[in-house]
Amino acid sequence: MLNPEPAGHDRAKAPAEESGRRLLQRRFTARLLPQLRLLVEECAAREGLNEPRRGEFVLAVDEIAGNAVEHAGGAGRLVLRRVGDELECRISDAGPGFSEAVIPELLPGLDGAPKGRGLWLARLVADRFAVAPGTGTEEAQGAVVTVAVRLR
Amino acid sequence: MPARDALSDHLIPVQRLRPGDHAFVGYGDDEVRWETVTAFVRLGLARGEKVLVLPCPDVPEEEVLARIDFPSRSTVRARERGQLVVTSMRELIRPDVEFTAARQMGRLSLATDRATAEGYTGLRAFIDMGWVAALGAEVATVARRETGAGALFAGRPYTEVCAYDRRRFDRSMVIAMERAHPHAVLERLGSLRAVRTPDEVLCFVGEADGANRAAFVRSLEIALARTAATRRLTVDLTRLHFLSVGCAVGLLTLARGATGHDLVEVRCDRGQRQMLRRLGADAVPRLAPREAVGLC
Repeated sequence: MLNPEPAGHDRAKAPAEESGRRLLQRRFTARLLPQLRLLVEECAAREGLNEPRRGEFVLAVDEIAGNAVEHAGGAGRLVLRRVGDELECRISDAGPGFSEAVIPELLPGLDGAPKGRGLWLARLVADRFAVAPGTGTEEAQGAVVTVAVRLR
Repeated sequence: MPARDALSDHLIPVQRLRPGDHAFVGYGDDEVRWETVTAFVRLGLARGEKVLVLPCPDVPEEEVLARIDFPSRSTVRARERGQLVVTSMRELIRPDVEFTAARQMGRLSLATDRATAEGYTGLRAFIDMGWVAALGAEVATVARRETGAGALFAGRPYTEVCAYDRRRFDRSMVIAMERAHPHAVLERLGSLRAVRTPDEVLCFVGEADGANRAAFVRSLEIALARTAATRRLTVDLTRLHFLSVGCAVGLLTLARGATGHDLVEVRCDRGQRQMLRRLGADAVPRLAPREAVGLC
């Protein structure tokens, strides 16, 4: 159903430092987002994240992954970990990169441009949220978005 | 275009199956067929249920496991501790050899009791109906079992999906079997269906994700046009397993612009209502999100 993650190296890799217990690691494209949601939901259920927080976490992950697909070359990489009493997801891409400053502070109105609401909501529902530069080239630095929720 | 047929009213996404549910799924593609079983199995394991998989007898067990077991052999431990069992109808009814509905249901009922005694939250079974030909069972006998299996499910922590390969069964038989089940699950992950009920409620079923945003918005636009005369539209989101921000905003934007309507009622669950409010539903005139329980 899902293609295994290629063994080869890609620019959209996660930062070198890692902590916690890795639950899932997947490369994704738009076609694989439904399966990615399934895997994240499965891991979240297994780690004891109950509804409605589980649904909010899956939504946040999907919005960030969808943003990578739409704006960063059509693909990305997800790493899901259990870090202490948190479930942490890092999504990296090889796009031009962006900073958290592009996410609106306040919800954009319905008559405005339909941009930024997905990341805005992802940050709203998260217990921890951060955007960091990726490790790509100057032209395509990439971004690493981290979203985490507390399990208890 | 929203579908309007008798078979659409019990459609749900596979992720929404809960203990006590008995569902049909049809397939006609050897790749697509694995999407439902994989989701059903893996979510069952994650929820602490014991899971039986009775694949089509033509499919080697090694292929079943390879299909389900991604990534990184992640279901191996479940198989080792007996939480995931790949078996067959022949094995289930052993030592008997002839299929009868009572015999099969008796075995499944015992297996449910055993699963809960072992500490699992319940039992779920995925049964590919390819076993019917393999055991030489009468199709009519199988049909009676499907329609008369209520006791196996009512108030019991047992969930079952019966998968019919449309290439193996007569079309009328498949349709009859779909009608016979309380639920039918969508064949593919990530799919979205729009269903119009006789009382003009627009129900969305499946996953309203970014890939389905255009279809979601188009169905809403058509529904608004159809209900222009009555000036009221009801949209039911309760059979969605996933609602993306893009689709939710699409709904809010269309409701905001539906100046010819007096009311756009949205039936939703608590999480969807919270999401709509976060995205500005309270500022949309004529929009009324209402928490609802059950199917439309």
